[in-house]
Amino acid sequence: MTGRGLRSPASAVVSSVVPLLLVALATAVGASGTPSLEGTVTLMLCNLIIVLGLQVFIGNSGVYSFGQLGFAAVGGYLAALLTISAAFTALQAPDLPKLIADAQLDPLPSTLIAAAASGLLAAVVGLPLMRTSTLAIPISTFAFLIVVYNVLANWDPVTGGSSGLVSIPRTTDVTSAGFWAGAAIVVALAFKWSASGYRLQATREDEVAARSIGIGLMRERLLAFTISGTLCGVGGALAVHQSGVLSPTTFYFAASVTTVTMLVVGGARSVLGAVVGTLAVATINELLRNVEEGASVLGLFSIGETPGLAAIGLGLILLMTMIALPEGLSRGREAGELGPIRRRLRPRAPSASRPAADQPGSRPAHESAGGLRAEGVSLAFSGLHVLREVELELPPGEALGLIGPNGAGKTTLVNVLSGFQDPDSGSVFLDELDVTTWSPARLVRAGLGRTFQAGLPFAGLTVMESVAVGAMGVGVGRRRAVKIAADVLERLGLSGQAQSPAGLQPPGNQRLLGIARALATGPRYLLLDEPAAGLDDEECRELVAILRKAIQDFGCAILLIEHDMNVVMDLCSRVQVLDDGETVVVGTPEEVQAHPAVVEAYLGTSYAAGPHA
Amino acid sequence: MTDLAQSLIDALALGGLYALIAVGIALTYTVMGMMNFAQGEFIMLPAYALFVLAGLPFAVAVSAALATGIAIAVLAERVAFRPVRNADLAAQLVTSLAVATILQSVVSATVDVRSQSVATPVLLSESSQIGALSIPNLEILTLALTVIVLGGLGWLLYRTRVGLEMRAAAENFEMARLLGVRADRVIMVAFAISGALAAIAGVLIVMQTGQVSPTMGLTPVLVGFIAVVIGGFGRILGAVIGGLVLGVLSSLLGTYLPDGLVPFRDAIVFSLPVAILIVRPQGLLGAATGEARI
Repeated sequence: MTGRGLRSPASAVVSSVVPLLLVALATAVGASGTPSLEGTVTLMLCNLIIVLGLQVFIGNSGVYSFGQLGFAAVGGYLAALLTISAAFTALQAPDLPKLIADAQLDPLPSTLIAAAASGLLAAVVGLPLMRTSTLAIPISTFAFLIVVYNVLANWDPVTGGSSGLVSIPRTTDVTSAGFWAGAAIVVALAFKWSASGYRLQATREDEVAARSIGIGLMRERLLAFTISGTLCGVGGALAVHQSGVLSPTTFYFAASVTTVTMLVVGGARSVLGAVVGTLAVATINELLRNVEEGASVLGLFSIGETPGLAAIGLGLILLMTMIALPEGLSRGREAGELGPIRRRLRPRAPSASRPAADQPGSRPAHESAGGLRAEGVSLAFSGLHVLREVELELPPGEALGLIGPNGAGKTTLVNVLSGFQDPDSGSVFLDELDVTTWSPARLVRAGLGRTFQAGLPFAGLTVMESVAVGAMGVGVGRRRAVKIAADVLERLGLSGQAQSPAGLQPPGNQRLLGIARALATGPRYLLLDEPAAGLDDEECRELVAILRKAIQDFGCAILLIEHDMNVVMDLCSRVQVLDDGETVVVGTPEEVQAHPAVVEAYLGTSYAAGPHA
Repeated sequence: MTDLAQSLIDALALGGLYALIAVGIALTYTVMGMMNFAQGEFIMLPAYALFVLAGLPFAVAVSAALATGIAIAVLAERVAFRPVRNADLAAQLVTSLAVATILQSVVSATVDVRSQSVATPVLLSESSQIGALSIPNLEILTLALTVIVLGGLGWLLYRTRVGLEMRAAAENFEMARLLGVRADRVIMVAFAISGALAAIAGVLIVMQTGQVSPTMGLTPVLVGFIAVVIGGFGRILGAVIGGLVLGVLSSLLGTYLPDGLVPFRDAIVFSLPVAILIVRPQGLLGAATGEARI
């Protein structure tokens, strides 16, 4: 990969190696310590796998799930029952299906089966759960955890009921736990850096903008939820083979709080955060637990037995982290992205002489003669008519200006055209196809891109990532998406900022970034909602030049909502005037400016002066 | 017939209790947009106030419980929730989880991890004969309290200045602030009311079970959350309906489920929100949202 990649190769190596080294270090400490220390470290590594499972879903989606421990529980029970000898199984779970009861598998196959079963369950459970809203997922996943607990605790003949299972072979040692934890790190990083991982991170940054570049929220969440459930199943299976006992409370509320604490303290958004958080919280927890059991500090003070102290400490750490360091110890960054390291690893500045990469999108510019057309579109919000029988026609390759006073219905019309809002009546046609009821995601795949008045940047991604994810959103693979993004950024003059955070760009760049993101989806029709708002004259002139170039280079038609008449008159061959939800006039800029109704409508507003070119 | 009426009254009493809990959660959610997991501890601590003050006259103990609920809610808001007021939803949720853990552990460390029994007034453990029905006095009290408290809350929200301010803040916090609503005060009042509601629920739960434990708030808070989700986020009335639905369903399932399935009642009840949310992702009363920012 060249310096134009999503990150420099060196940064990727550092980001992968540092967490792996931390795990190796922990494993070495455990292997060389007392049996009690080894047990503690082994259990911590099992917890780490579960926390990495949480990171895959929570970190990338930004949505909290409290149900992942349910998958650890299912993995743990299944792995236990698969490995306990038939005689012991008959005692503890007499009604278990014979196939599982008689099985006495080795650790590896039992762990793999447990992982597959947890993953499958996560996919099945996730299907309805991911349909619920961002707000409801934390609670509905919690409900799932309660359901799992309730079944495990009461289905005595199969699960051993509330007393749980004993005589589980203790086959997980610190080395195997370390190996699995390393594998989980690789899985978590691979997902985070995959096209699907980036699409999910885009939904975390802004759900609406993610829809506008074709990302299916539920689908991406479900995939991460499934991977997460699989990892949790592995962690659960390994953990029960460490402790040798299992009860319904092993993976219930307390464990859920502990693992979420680990993730949040470390920083949910990075894999490094999951590792650091687990190490930090487990260490502190262990120290507090020693104190709790009654210890003496430096042989000077002796502290009596204080149950609950460890939990108080955990709670305080979590509270202080949320208040002082809401992004966690890692600040949500991977090792290769940390301040001092980042400066050294910054990718080379791209060379301007590099030949243009793939054109965004695969479609030829003037593929069909259809165009984007609205017919008799009407829409009312609680009785208030926002659009009345609006007609609009945008032929391929043309630039159409849409102007009118505030509240005229311009943005609403763009929302209808781009599928964010269904009209009450009327139809929208894209290349003669009736697309009135299509979702935004389907429309953008069909070549209809848009930007937002509010910009809606993916603030937590880099400039490069937030443009590349536009191409990934419409299904372009990661490598090609990166090439497309590099090309778009270069044409828009943003190459220099490629590796800096999108959220920290100045307003002018934010506007361009929104346009770049939409262009990366390879649109044939691009709807721009006030791209020049908040820009000064100089920036406006640059914007016009860039948009004109985009029309030529990318061959896409543009619908431009804009208050700055200079921008509209410079760019558009036709202008449509909307007022109070109705079309006043459509024509060339000159015709429109001369139209009496327009002059009247704009009298007293900034437009009265006309273009001050 | 009598049996059915009897089970219905049982069911309504449980539904009323759940509604009280759910409204406490919904209130702070609508005003501050925060899902407060520590609400369970706002239920637990007043219950412990009853336990600690067991020797004093019942009315005094209950007043102390009420004061405890209000005080702890206001304190938690001031110390822990205010600093994260502008953080994202997940951060607020985790913060409340931290507060819950701390309060729970403090009680574990200072009183006991195990549950303790609390003597309840004799009057509340007796039943009253109404027609052919014999209704436990506690259920009568629960139903009466539900009606009075929710009615009072309705009056407060729709007939007083602070209620108006709270509703305005719930609609659009920033706008309300610009129009002169004192944000800190409105949020504090919301937490105080929420703490009082939790305390009432806590007292009723102790009267019913006769014991207190550090984790006694967990199940109620989960039930409350699920009621809020069913009813639709941000709707006080939705929380009332969600609580009633959950309580009535849970109680009736306990009565009418075949013996073999009774242990799995919770599994069935807690699957309900998912079923409802599949059909109506925004909850029973929730409005479809998400387009406002475009």
